[in-house]
Amino acid sequence: MSANINKPRTYWQSVRSRLRRDPVTLTCAGIIIGIVLLSIFAPLIAPANPYDANMMKRLAPIGSPGYPLGADELGRDMLSRLIYGGRISLIMGLVPVFIALIIGASCGLVAGYVGGRTNMLIMRTMDIFYAFPSIMLAIAISGAIGAGIENGLLSLTLVFIPPITRVSETITVQIKSLDFIDAARASGASNSRIILSHIIVNALGPIFIYCTSLVSVSIIIASGLSFLGLGVSPPEADWGLMLSTLRQSIYVNPWVCALPGVMIFTTSLCFNLMSDGLRSAMDMKM
Amino acid sequence: MFSYFIKRLLYALPIAIGVTVFVFSLVYMGGDPLDAVLPDDATAADVQEIKEIYGFDKPLPVQYIRWLGRAITGDFGTSIGTGLPVADELGRALVNTLILAICSALTGFPFAVFLGTLAGYNHGQRADKIVSGFAITGVSVPHYWLAIVMVIVFSVELNILPSLGMGPGGSEDWTLDWAHAKHLILPVIGGSIISMGIIARSMRAAVAEILNQEFVRALRSKGLSESRIAYHVMKNALPSILGVVGLEIGSLMGGSILIETIFSWPGAGFLLNEAIFRRDLPVLQGTILVLAMFFVILNLIVDISQTFVDKRIIRT
Amino acid sequence: MKFQARKKSKEPMKSLSKALRFENYLPFRKSGYFSVVGTALAALITFSSSNSNAASTVTIGMTAADIPVTTGAPSQGGEGLRFTGFTMYDGLINWDLTKSDVPAKLTPGLATSWKVNPKDKSKWIFTLRKGVKFHDGSTFNADAVIFNLGKIKDKNSPQFDPKGAAQIRARIPSVKAWKKIDDYTVEISTPSPDAMLPYQLTWFLISSPTQWEKVGKDWKKFAFKPSGTGPFKLTKLVPREKAVMVPFKDYWDKKRVAKSTLILRPIPEATARTAALLSGQTDWIEAPSPDAIPRLKKAGKQIVTNTYPHIWPYTLSYLPDSPWLDVRVRKAANLAIDRDGLVKLLGGLAEPSTGSVEKGHPWRGNPKFQIKYDPDEARRLMKEVGYTPEKPLKTKLVISTSGSGQMQPLPMNEYIQQNMKKVGIDLQLEVVEWARMRTISRAGATTPDQKGFHAINNSYGTPHPFNTFVRFFHSSSIAPKGRNWGHYKAKWADEIINKILVTFDIDEQNKLCAKLHERLVDEAAWIWIVKDLNPRALAANVKGMVPAQSWYLDLTGVYKE
Repeated sequence: MSANINKPRTYWQSVRSRLRRDPVTLTCAGIIIGIVLLSIFAPLIAPANPYDANMMKRLAPIGSPGYPLGADELGRDMLSRLIYGGRISLIMGLVPVFIALIIGASCGLVAGYVGGRTNMLIMRTMDIFYAFPSIMLAIAISGAIGAGIENGLLSLTLVFIPPITRVSETITVQIKSLDFIDAARASGASNSRIILSHIIVNALGPIFIYCTSLVSVSIIIASGLSFLGLGVSPPEADWGLMLSTLRQSIYVNPWVCALPGVMIFTTSLCFNLMSDGLRSAMDMKM
Repeated sequence: MFSYFIKRLLYALPIAIGVTVFVFSLVYMGGDPLDAVLPDDATAADVQEIKEIYGFDKPLPVQYIRWLGRAITGDFGTSIGTGLPVADELGRALVNTLILAICSALTGFPFAVFLGTLAGYNHGQRADKIVSGFAITGVSVPHYWLAIVMVIVFSVELNILPSLGMGPGGSEDWTLDWAHAKHLILPVIGGSIISMGIIARSMRAAVAEILNQEFVRALRSKGLSESRIAYHVMKNALPSILGVVGLEIGSLMGGSILIETIFSWPGAGFLLNEAIFRRDLPVLQGTILVLAMFFVILNLIVDISQTFVDKRIIRT
Repeated sequence: MKFQARKKSKEPMKSLSKALRFENYLPFRKSGYFSVVGTALAALITFSSSNSNAASTVTIGMTAADIPVTTGAPSQGGEGLRFTGFTMYDGLINWDLTKSDVPAKLTPGLATSWKVNPKDKSKWIFTLRKGVKFHDGSTFNADAVIFNLGKIKDKNSPQFDPKGAAQIRARIPSVKAWKKIDDYTVEISTPSPDAMLPYQLTWFLISSPTQWEKVGKDWKKFAFKPSGTGPFKLTKLVPREKAVMVPFKDYWDKKRVAKSTLILRPIPEATARTAALLSGQTDWIEAPSPDAIPRLKKAGKQIVTNTYPHIWPYTLSYLPDSPWLDVRVRKAANLAIDRDGLVKLLGGLAEPSTGSVEKGHPWRGNPKFQIKYDPDEARRLMKEVGYTPEKPLKTKLVISTSGSGQMQPLPMNEYIQQNMKKVGIDLQLEVVEWARMRTISRAGATTPDQKGFHAINNSYGTPHPFNTFVRFFHSSSIAPKGRNWGHYKAKWADEIINKILVTFDIDEQNKLCAKLHERLVDEAAWIWIVKDLNPRALAANVKGMVPAQSWYLDLTGVYKE
């Protein structure tokens, strides 16, 4: 990335042309956009009310009339539930990473740019949370404060702040040491101006790419929390909770029960592949 | 070198203290610690009396100091659920989790390192694409779901692999024979799939990057044999292997909760899950603390051994 | 002897067939390696079964995540008492668990008889059984009873067991003082005359003072080498993994000498339990999930159910802001629920509940209000109050994600939510963990952090009048003193309950209970929904299990063919 920094226009052009030649990344981006759109417009798209139970249709197999993807343990339409379930799963995947991005990137930028004591204070505090493997930290916090969407969001955000801070700090330190920052400083630019106009602009790309790879981790952990009963509360359901409740029925209709898992897997795979694609298009090494 | 070790040790100390404060405060964030274990008809007076017996009636800082003082000497109190010393239970559970983690680290990780190296060497070719495909699948799959699917296929339908516990004798007389190894197969796969993906991906990136560097070209142009070059590549990749493997061993230990619950594997994760749902505070605190400390020490070891392998990496 | 010989000759055949099956399933069955493994496995199975003497071994998968405490003060509620309580210990008074067609009754245990002192009805005299030996060989007598009362109730006694006390003392609140009269007579006094004492005492098990001395006066060590008078004795305990209990040959009740060795395994995960039974790793599992039943049946497993004293209701708030104060709303809610649909959801492992006890029970009475599925009548009642499905009554219900006796709280409550919506009640579910549910239910509806909670869905065991009525409907039981969460207060109920508490004649007591229950149903005091059927799944060759109408089981008759 360093070579391209001074010529942003041609750089972004080349990124675009590289992306255009990458069918995998484009397909994944397409699937993700599709899932996002389905979730946003769920009330318009979903063929049935995801909360309407019908005991006669309990665990109907895939392809039953009126139930294209079968029905769950309460006879609710799986297709509609998967569409609606995507809402919470995506929120649980995206929101914590987004909030953590804002907090973590700010901390990282400040720590990396100011250096010295500030750096030490921020980074050592982060190291405390870094001492916990991510799944365990999320489970520990959720287990302590209880189930629920808000609590899940909170614990996941806390999980992602330290790694984002660390990555941001490393990148900031790298950029800070580049020649053009010295040049800007020599020309009399203020600290805030340097941070804003140079460092953020140049650091945001790599930090953002790093965060796209965290989204899949977030979705998997969030579903794991729901799976343990520490996540979303019914009747709302994300894919993790659907997986957890349907698991009891796995002997009746394994295919229907596998669907939420397939959705989690697909979404997280697409985010990972897209993250990889963007990274190589932007020619970045983490 | 020696002063670096000391520095690194001193630097781990405030982290360790921070971890204890966090772990201690964690369990007081939700509800009353005793409610889950008291029988239905306990009266307020009973509750108060039992609180006193456990020391839950003291102010929090006092409880923290007491708890820390005892924890340092390896006394984590007694489990509210079983009435047994937490240290005993945790000790047993940690051994079981370690068995799982070590088996994963000894079987899955070298395999992942091998695959990653293979992919890095054949960057952009078919072998790379296949390995990368597997690796990214491993990273993206919800492992608890995979575990359930494996139980259905291999335990229930085919009935060739057991899905429950550690083997005929349980953890007490556990030995590495086939009867016990059978019980390891599914938990090891389920528990290490994500880590294997991460390791293979890191290895691939590291090897590809090193192969791209000047010195490899220089070595090649000098006419060094490929096996000698491979030696140099691996030597240069070693710090990153150590880093990622260390991190993933930590994840295996800390992330064991889902897998151990599904397979009833009597390890630290299983203990943690039960402690959360029964709000068995001493067990919860002890387990999280020990796992986190394990992680801190592991990081320390990784850092030091990285420096040992490559003197250029000295972190400040 | 005959039995043993036959068994031995059969064993190799069985393991051989297992080995064959094992091989058949392998994808590459021609490989020599796997057939070697198969043979080794067969050898192993033969070895381990020929090793286990004459008595068979039955492995039980419990729902608990841990082996309940083994010191005679079991944790884990009913499941604990069932598996590490009544197996290794006896109380002064036991439950008669040998019949499955009538609700379990009290029966003499280590006391051969008990009676209240006619002059002072707060004093009870217990005549103890002679010739009873503990597992360690020492003799049971009045001193042992006194020792155990100190263990649970007397903080100053050397044998006081705080952990045991935490489990048991709240179960025997009426025990105030005790006195040894002679070696085989003990007097226990209650604060006031209390006819509930015998029921309470079923939780009070007798462990051996001699053994406690022997292990160094340490209950933690006692847990690994316990000694009671029960039909089983513990030979091995691996916490969180397994407990092995072998028959105690010198058990005092010769009709109940155990036939098999039991291995208890904690498997909290329902799917894991099912998988364990299907793959032959256990012979018996508690509470299989309803959806696993067809698969278990297909695999030839026995599904055993029976009614038992359990209710799964909505307990209502009677505070001024509660919508349930209107009897029409309460009746409408009771009529809105499609209980048969719920039973179907639960794979038939439940039965509709039309009160705290059902027809045929001595406490049932003759309520005029018929609890059934009648959505039209429910809608009519709600309309009368001023609510319709379009403009519904909004009310909050607390449910748990899981928990002992809670069955499948999430899908069940979602199902009921749908039912209620159709008659004009918008049930908003507040989902909490089991631990929090217990806090809520114990603290009572007036607690500030429970503002707006108008009902809770907590299941209860109802084996005796105290647990069924007194703790829920008496004004002196209002939380946090007792379990009257919703502050139910009625003068007539207090009056009947006061009489029940001092009526020592069982028939009279039953009649009073019936009178109380009749009126509670007529007032629709709660919303009664379903009762669990206590399902278990057993391997085809497990015999001799009697599904008593109780939370407990007599495991002595169980054996494996």
